[in-house]
Amino acid sequence: MWQVAPAGDRALLVTVGRTIDPSLLGQVLALDKALAGRPPSGLISTVPAYASLLCHYDPGVTDAARLEASILELEGHVDAAMAVGSVVDVPTQYDGPDLASVALQTNLTPAGVIEMHAGREYLVYCVGFAPGFTYCGVLPDQLSVPRLASPRLRVATGSIGIAGRQTGIYAVESPGGWNLIGRTGLRLFDPAADPPVRFKPGDRLRFIPAS
Amino acid sequence: MIEVVEAGHWTTVQDRGRPSLERFGIPPGGAADWYAAAVANRIVGNPQGAALLECTASGPTLRFDADAVVALTGGHSTGAANWQPIGIARGASLTIGTIAPGLRSYIAVRGGIDVPLVLGSRSFCQRGTFGGGFGRPLQRGDRLAVGRLGEYEPLAAPWPESHRLPARGPWEVHVIPGPQLDAFAEDALQRLTTTACRVTPAIDRMGLRLATPGLRLQPQEIVTVPMTAGAIQVTPSGGLIVLHVDHQSTGGYPVIATVISADLPLLAQARPGDTVRFRSVDQAEAVRAWRRLTGWLELDP
Repeated sequence: MWQVAPAGDRALLVTVGRTIDPSLLGQVLALDKALAGRPPSGLISTVPAYASLLCHYDPGVTDAARLEASILELEGHVDAAMAVGSVVDVPTQYDGPDLASVALQTNLTPAGVIEMHAGREYLVYCVGFAPGFTYCGVLPDQLSVPRLASPRLRVATGSIGIAGRQTGIYAVESPGGWNLIGRTGLRLFDPAADPPVRFKPGDRLRFIPAS
Repeated sequence: MIEVVEAGHWTTVQDRGRPSLERFGIPPGGAADWYAAAVANRIVGNPQGAALLECTASGPTLRFDADAVVALTGGHSTGAANWQPIGIARGASLTIGTIAPGLRSYIAVRGGIDVPLVLGSRSFCQRGTFGGGFGRPLQRGDRLAVGRLGEYEPLAAPWPESHRLPARGPWEVHVIPGPQLDAFAEDALQRLTTTACRVTPAIDRMGLRLATPGLRLQPQEIVTVPMTAGAIQVTPSGGLIVLHVDHQSTGGYPVIATVISADLPLLAQARPGDTVRFRSVDQAEAVRAWRRLTGWLELDP
């Protein structure tokens, strides 16, 4: 069941589920595509994330009830199968400041952490938080570690972190509470490019250890 | 050109921001007190999209190398006349000084501040360190070009006091419940709206941390969701973070209620130590509040 709730006086949040699950992301992206293809009157823009889609609207043109009705009409009528694109390689230097502590927490060697993190394909679930920040999942259970007790005030551009069942790439310098295990030189955010970000939800990537 | 003689505490170029790029993680940005910024542009005869200067806590000293018409609105500047057109002669300077009451003042210059567009806006984006002409707040010695955006004649009289927002707290701020109301106990919203919250020193354009003595809302955990300006996030320790215009585009703390657009200017002017009380309203009331402000902007005072 999709749930629609107001996010203030000019946006609605559509929630399709409450877990991190590729099929829920598939529904979000399918709804997003359907709305982009035939935008209901007054819809301005949308923001996808994991299992929800934010819909900004112009209250001078439509209202929450009318937009909600047009969204709910699509439930069960969108194709939630995700397009399978190519897998993007992310060259990675596994020299992050938290690699040793992650190894300790997971009963692995640093080399074991690297092997486990680099040894699989990830789905991009969300680009958010800060410009270009790329949330990917899911990590094997054994690599799941909590966030840092106190976040760093500055995490460098290109840093690769893990937290819970997620791994992510910091596209710009920002504060951050994830365990940093590596970094990439791949540029994920460029305000002069169109689009300005390298990844979008639904993309697939893998981390390639630099030799 | 305008020369920045003194920069002030945190002075940035802002316009109406980049409202449709949140899917790339880019905050909407733009003037934190959208109403004061719109009035400043209105007074000097600029279109609403013209860029202006947003000053925080203390403002700059600017020297003009050509005749100019400017207006100051928002938080009260102690150094110059507020809410009315000011004519500045070539070679003269304008000093804003300390801002109080209120926190943020807007300086509109007839013609608009002309810095390059980045991603469709002239606004400085702190999280991405781009825009605003320099990719940073203004510094002494910066030079700003003035555009040619003057669209109407500048107003002849001060902006009517009846059409200004309150200048100081305590602030009554209206909210729409949700979107994650179901992550909270049934009485949580009622408890939030009967608590006097206090603004902490941790405030900026991304958000405001509020202290809530005695209020322990203890929400359930949620999967990361998109965020909006005005979202009242409740952290696991029970503290509140009210997101503002440079907010993170997504977040993992549940949002109990969302401040209506018409009241975001109040939070842009709130100072550490101020009291904030939230009051729940419905969509119709939120739209009426918005129309009231946009109606004021269309008046010919």
